[in-house]
Amino acid sequence: MVKPKAHVDEVKCLSCGACVSVCPQDAILITAGKARVNKNICSSCYICVKTCPVAAISEGEA
Amino acid sequence: MKYDVVVVGAGPAGSTTAGYAAKNGAKVIILERRSEVGVPVLCGEGINKNVDKFEILKGTSRWIANRMDGARVYAPNGTCVTLKAERAGSETGYVIYRDIFDQTLAASAVKWGAEIQLNTNVTGLLKENGKIVGVKAQHFNKKIEIKADIIIGADGVESRVGKWAGINTTLKPVDLESCAQYTLTNVDVEKEYCHFYVGKEIAPGGYVWIFPKSKDTANVGIGVLASLSKPGLALQLLDRFIENHPWLKNGEPIRLLAGADPVGEPVESVRGNLILVGDAARHVDPITGGGLTTALEGGRIAGEVIGKAVNEKRFDEATLKEYEVRWQQTYARKLKRNYIAKDIFLGFDDKTLNMLADSLKDYNFDEITTLGLIKALVSKHPTLLGKLLPLIKLSTV
Repeated sequence: MVKPKAHVDEVKCLSCGACVSVCPQDAILITAGKARVNKNICSSCYICVKTCPVAAISEGEA
Repeated sequence: MKYDVVVVGAGPAGSTTAGYAAKNGAKVIILERRSEVGVPVLCGEGINKNVDKFEILKGTSRWIANRMDGARVYAPNGTCVTLKAERAGSETGYVIYRDIFDQTLAASAVKWGAEIQLNTNVTGLLKENGKIVGVKAQHFNKKIEIKADIIIGADGVESRVGKWAGINTTLKPVDLESCAQYTLTNVDVEKEYCHFYVGKEIAPGGYVWIFPKSKDTANVGIGVLASLSKPGLALQLLDRFIENHPWLKNGEPIRLLAGADPVGEPVESVRGNLILVGDAARHVDPITGGGLTTALEGGRIAGEVIGKAVNEKRFDEATLKEYEVRWQQTYARKLKRNYIAKDIFLGFDDKTLNMLADSLKDYNFDEITTLGLIKALVSKHPTLLGKLLPLIKLSTV
């Protein structure tokens, strides 16, 4: 089974960039004031999920 | 338009580098992604008094919100250790308005000859025959290219400039604090000190801070080590802390911010004609998480080295490496020592922290000596000696 990709809740995201600095794949960018995950690159390691100070990133849905 | 130097990011490290480079004769442009320098603030806003020595900050003190006498550190059981400013490490002195602070630095850089372009999101490096010759950027809806002999990555904790040049800047979760902070008003704080609270229940692998801007307004924030964190833990623990603190429980937030603070080791800071400064280079004290003083110190060094390189028309790595040599002489030892100390502190449980605070609460830090400190520590709690040995060894290196 393929693990779901990290998913950003744009309402909660404060665009602080914490996720960007921990992503080992360089798959997250702050664009237009919100964190955006490039799902083609995301390896579903979920380090960003753990790191987000305001719980704006989740493990997404399968 | 061709420049000697293009600086990516108008934060403290970027503006300081740009300012001192321009002052030393370089033609400099700063590119800033946002539409206002210094906004939004992503910072606890505490800084050491020794920033006064930087010429780039002279002329105005509008950026100072509050002057502090020192720091109080609270153990998990509430025992308080008071440190006067000279002894409290690098981040006491002033509580500042970071937006005005950043704008002051940018204004000085401009006065000294640098240009600034806002709303310019750098998207990659411009290369010719394998050599970096500038940057590609998006300015509103226009794609632009800016050519320069030297490229400065001052793009903060989430730095991409370094990555594009092949420098590994990805932070391990054990080297990153996940942070949240409120600016609370209607509080009643002791404004002469900044306050730090440690403990596994309070802030795993980090601390809670109260940095007073005045008697009734303060930055109250938390850093949680990302490797010990859970989704949203930083904000959850911060809310709980505020609810239970007598000074803060009537406070109302006028600002909320989240962020990441690098508490790892510096990365390679010069690659060819590209230089990293400030948070992008991980020039942050791993104990306090403070990076303003090193950003200014490193930025000034970078600016001076660049000025010289431009005057001699030498943009090779060997010439620019002088920056690395000089920042290493200036603050590498302290960063290294505190990185090891961070690791030792992480191993302390709450009981150890309580004993440590109990031993130090009456200690006179004005007459600090290593031997005196050891005596104070072990006379009350002899079992501390074993735990502190690595720290004592470190302090005598």
